[in-house]
Amino acid sequence: MAKWIIGIIVVIIIGAGLWYSGVLGTFMTPPASPQTTTTTTPANNQQAAAQPENGMSANNDASDAAITQDTAAIDAQMQGLNSDSANVDSSLNDQSVQ
Amino acid sequence: MTLKQFIFRTALLLGLIVLTPALVLAQTTATAGATTGTSVTTSAPTANFTAAETKAKTRGDNEIDRRITALTDLNTRVQAMQKVTDTFKQSLSATVTSEISALTALKAKIDADTDAATLKTDLQSITASYRIFALVLPQGRIAAAADREVTLVSMMPTLGAKLQARVQTASQGGANVTALTAALTDMASKLQDAQTQAEAAVSGSASLTPDNGNATQMASNTAALKAARADIKTAQTDLVAARKDITTIVAGLKTLGTSTTASSTAQ
Repeated sequence: MAKWIIGIIVVIIIGAGLWYSGVLGTFMTPPASPQTTTTTTPANNQQAAAQPENGMSANNDASDAAITQDTAAIDAQMQGLNSDSANVDSSLNDQSVQ
Repeated sequence: MTLKQFIFRTALLLGLIVLTPALVLAQTTATAGATTGTSVTTSAPTANFTAAETKAKTRGDNEIDRRITALTDLNTRVQAMQKVTDTFKQSLSATVTSEISALTALKAKIDADTDAATLKTDLQSITASYRIFALVLPQGRIAAAADREVTLVSMMPTLGAKLQARVQTASQGGANVTALTAALTDMASKLQDAQTQAEAAVSGSASLTPDNGNATQMASNTAALKAARADIKTAQTDLVAARKDITTIVAGLKTLGTSTTASSTAQ
């Protein structure tokens, strides 16, 4: 009887040691589902492809609000173009100060 | 050897063993300190430049800083370009980065110069390097402006399609949309020309190479850069006109009372 009790205690101690060191955790953690990864990536890509560039609204939205949004996005780029164009001018008119 | 002598010699030996690493460490520290001290002494320029030379050196430093700032800004802008190929962008960025490195090295050399003759030569090389800067900077900026124009050329038709859908709806409702249709047609025409001009600006300037003092090539490069600038200006004028067409159409739709708050298809 005493031998059985000692044996059980030893097994419990070994089990606790393995659990504490994380060895059992690696067997118990479920593997990452490849299906999740596969389905998430294309969904993200589709979302990225559908997103209009430079602050424009959705391509299929012709509402007043969308037109206002698109106009503002275009105006922002027009302002950028003014700056780019002025930079071209200044680089061509540049003089070395040496 | 008596017991007393044995104990004394053993103690001496142990003392030496314990103390030797400490001595070596102290020596190393002293050597390192001496080396650092030496390098500090030699890196400081000791030449006595005239006031004019010192002024020229400061002016040279300022000129290099000005160019590095302009090129760094250009590199940032190049990274934000949207419509060029990655290869073109990388090539342009590599050219700009290379020029920044060359200028940084030249500035460091000028700062470390200790004799007047070397300083004079280095200052002259600032002027010589200007020929590269004077080509790389406008080349990059022309490419950036053209990229912005092509970006706008791709954005405006998206809005144009929506406006066209609204104009069509108004027309089907019996409204007179002649002026709005004309504005749409003009917009398409202006965008087509803007695209052509922007492409011409890049193709006419991107392949230019530094003149290396060749006056003929310098004149040729200058002419090509000016032509590219003219293309950029024409494309910009086209885009401004297209933007006015948008204003005309939006205002016309408001007049016709075709306001829409819900989403509708504009494909």
